[in-house]
Amino acid sequence: MARSPQRQSSREEYDYTEEYGSHSDQQSLRLRRVPSRVSNQNPPQFDWSSPHEEEDEEGSSGPPRDLRATPLPMALKRAMRQIQQMRVPVVSSRESWKRKKAKSLRKLKESGRGFLSFFSLWSKTLQKIGGNFGGGVQSYFLFLRFLVVLNFVSFLLIAGFVLIPSIVFRSVGSKLINSTGPEACMEYDPNPQGLVVFYNYFLDLLSGTGFMEYSYLFYGYYNNTMVEDVNFSYNIPLAYLLTAVFYFIFCLICIIVRMGTAARVVVATGVSTVGNYSMIAFTSWDYGCLGDRATKLKQKNIHYGLQVDLEEESMKKRAATLTLLQKIVLYSLRVSMCVLSLGLIIAAFFGIFKATEFSQKNSLQGGILGLFFEYLPSIVITAGNFVVPLLCDQIALIERYAPSNTVIVALLRSVFLRLVSLGVLLFTLWGQITCDGAENTGDCKLCQYNHLIYQCWETRVGQEMYKLTLFDFLINIAVLILVEFPRRMVVDNWSNKLTQWVGRQEFVVSANVLGLVYGQTVVWTGALFCPLLPLINTLKFILLFYFKKITLFYNCRPALKTFRSTTSTFFFLVVLLFGWGLGTVVIIYSVAEIRPSMGCGPFSVFPSMWSIVPMSFQKLSITSQEFLFFIGSQSFSIPLFALSCVVMCYFVALASVYGKSVALLRAQLKLEGRDKQFLVKQIEMLSQSQHILN
Amino acid sequence: MGTTASQLGKDMLSEYQELTFLTKQEILLAHKRFTELLTRDEKDLANTRVPIERILTLPELKSNPFRKRICHVFSTSEYKDGSLTFEDFLDLLSAFSDSATLEIKSHYAFRIFDFDDDGTLDCGDLEKLVNCLTGETDDTRLTPEEMRQLINNILEESDIDKDGTVNLSEFQHVISRSPDFVSSFKIVL
Repeated sequence: MARSPQRQSSREEYDYTEEYGSHSDQQSLRLRRVPSRVSNQNPPQFDWSSPHEEEDEEGSSGPPRDLRATPLPMALKRAMRQIQQMRVPVVSSRESWKRKKAKSLRKLKESGRGFLSFFSLWSKTLQKIGGNFGGGVQSYFLFLRFLVVLNFVSFLLIAGFVLIPSIVFRSVGSKLINSTGPEACMEYDPNPQGLVVFYNYFLDLLSGTGFMEYSYLFYGYYNNTMVEDVNFSYNIPLAYLLTAVFYFIFCLICIIVRMGTAARVVVATGVSTVGNYSMIAFTSWDYGCLGDRATKLKQKNIHYGLQVDLEEESMKKRAATLTLLQKIVLYSLRVSMCVLSLGLIIAAFFGIFKATEFSQKNSLQGGILGLFFEYLPSIVITAGNFVVPLLCDQIALIERYAPSNTVIVALLRSVFLRLVSLGVLLFTLWGQITCDGAENTGDCKLCQYNHLIYQCWETRVGQEMYKLTLFDFLINIAVLILVEFPRRMVVDNWSNKLTQWVGRQEFVVSANVLGLVYGQTVVWTGALFCPLLPLINTLKFILLFYFKKITLFYNCRPALKTFRSTTSTFFFLVVLLFGWGLGTVVIIYSVAEIRPSMGCGPFSVFPSMWSIVPMSFQKLSITSQEFLFFIGSQSFSIPLFALSCVVMCYFVALASVYGKSVALLRAQLKLEGRDKQFLVKQIEMLSQSQHILN
Repeated sequence: MGTTASQLGKDMLSEYQELTFLTKQEILLAHKRFTELLTRDEKDLANTRVPIERILTLPELKSNPFRKRICHVFSTSEYKDGSLTFEDFLDLLSAFSDSATLEIKSHYAFRIFDFDDDGTLDCGDLEKLVNCLTGETDDTRLTPEEMRQLINNILEESDIDKDGTVNLSEFQHVISRSPDFVSSFKIVL
């Protein structure tokens, strides 16, 4: 409601500028209403009389309006500012102080923002990408930048609390407790061979074994050091665990905050699909488009989109008239295709399952063959993720969903495939580490994990995730060099029917985003076992940014079908949250349930990783223990719960009130229109009767 | 108003900062780009008008289908020839800048789309607008039947008071529900 006077005045100003500007013969209602103002046509000076009296009144009561937000030419804005400044002595000193404060605050904010924008990564590049390829592709790169920053900050967290302390205290600290356990479980010898052939270095680098294995890269190298002085103590195992926990919480908060901004927008717009055509007509042009090529493509995009939408509309009308038999045929076709794609996905899972099992059994072989076996799961996963979505796309063509639904269905299928295939890999690993969950039988009887294959299983899981990360990166580069560049060269230099039909590749935003989500999920899963994985991932994503940029500018044509960048941003984050969930489940399970390996790592003496927390809790002073107990008790949590309920209720009520006021305003707008029409009729009637009288 | 075209005084700069949504760097950049458009003898004159043909050589505007409308809307010229002074140019950049409010952006968008300058978007305006969006050539233009269907749909959705045209508040109502607008209504030098 508070906005309405401003709205009104802006409309008045519009009237003014309209008269001030050019003016057609068409008699609009407003001109009839205020005929006197028609006379003062296009004066270059400002007409102080009518429209701005209102403005002045407003100005004397409230704070002055932000002149930057007035749609007037500069000269008039300057004049208005002078008037505002002349008025300043009238207000009280307190008021003017307030204004001055606000002004200087704004200046400070601006300079701060300028300073920050200096640091923001790749802003020029992002702008260029947005200009040439549109908002959808830009949102991919924004997402990539977000992940780079997230990973880097996570690395700083880990470096600050785990890495640097362990480097510093490695020589100084004392071992917490000397490990006791069966002799066989304590065996851990990561560097068995003395002399290494040079090419083995390369193999080790790729698979994280050999010289890589026993280093700060992996869990096994950290030990249960504890430094205790009179007023200083540092417990590496505790720090290790808590850092991992905070890392996950930190990532969650980052995602949620980013989602919040995206969600607000989606909620505001996505409620009704009405307004689609006017939205396309009024807002689809991207004024940042640079160059003729981009403009042409954008125009083509819009044309295509409009045609599709109009066609879809008539299709819907036709669908409503479909006979029962035709409907049955269509739906049965959809169901069978759905089953088929599900079957494909399950087949892919089975393949991954078998490959992992096979590779774990044969991983002890050396040389190239060994490397192949090591990478077999990654190869199968990548192949599956490459082939199955392609087939699913073909299936989607048969299903004949509406275009917007097709995109979502395709996305969901590939998300499912990607994340669950990773899950299958982890499940296989879990089965082998814990002898399929039966921890007191067979090979697991002695140490509660399979110490014959895995002397240090955490490092092994870390290596697996390291390999997945590295392999994903290598595949990206390989695809760039071996597929994308040759394709563009062939398409550009040969012009026959076939190459024209194939054409340059499109930059498919959804598939690329899923690649990022997958990479990030792998990092989350492996972060506990390979603390430097976030750093590796930062570097990987930075390089990926440049590679993707190169392939975008040299090899791609903008996609013909684009989807709205705002909704997609939200969807990307939801998918990322799935990945986060998968990583968290893995971490919680391995922290709480599986016995840490006895031969290596910071937790070698504990029955589970979590047990360090109760142990250090016992060491706290009585008051802090009591305080923590109080926070955990019902007397604290029930009031907290009640309070959060109240706050939530308040916000829900607020939201509904806003919704109602929007509906009210809409109704008011309608009424105003009707009033206007009524008045026009009245005026016409009056003028006619006057005409008759005269 | 006393700007010599070749140099920008410090108080001028701070005044422009106050009156536009631009930062200091952006104003300086705009000034540099604007002076590049001037001929040699124009550089010494204050408040030179640059004709629309030269403005449209800027790569940021060159291929924009609304380029002529944009110049006309922001021009304060008495002859309505779309020529811009430096201050008009700043107004343009301010409205298209990152930090401009939705309200001012939608206001100017409305005026850009209002091809006949009559204060409402009628069928003729909408047709011209759609032709700009899809391109003027025959193979990209919508068929008359499609165009009729589209304009009917647009009016049905956004013409709330059913007077056959879209006025500013109805337009702003549509815009306010489109979050992409603020990010797409943007020209950065």
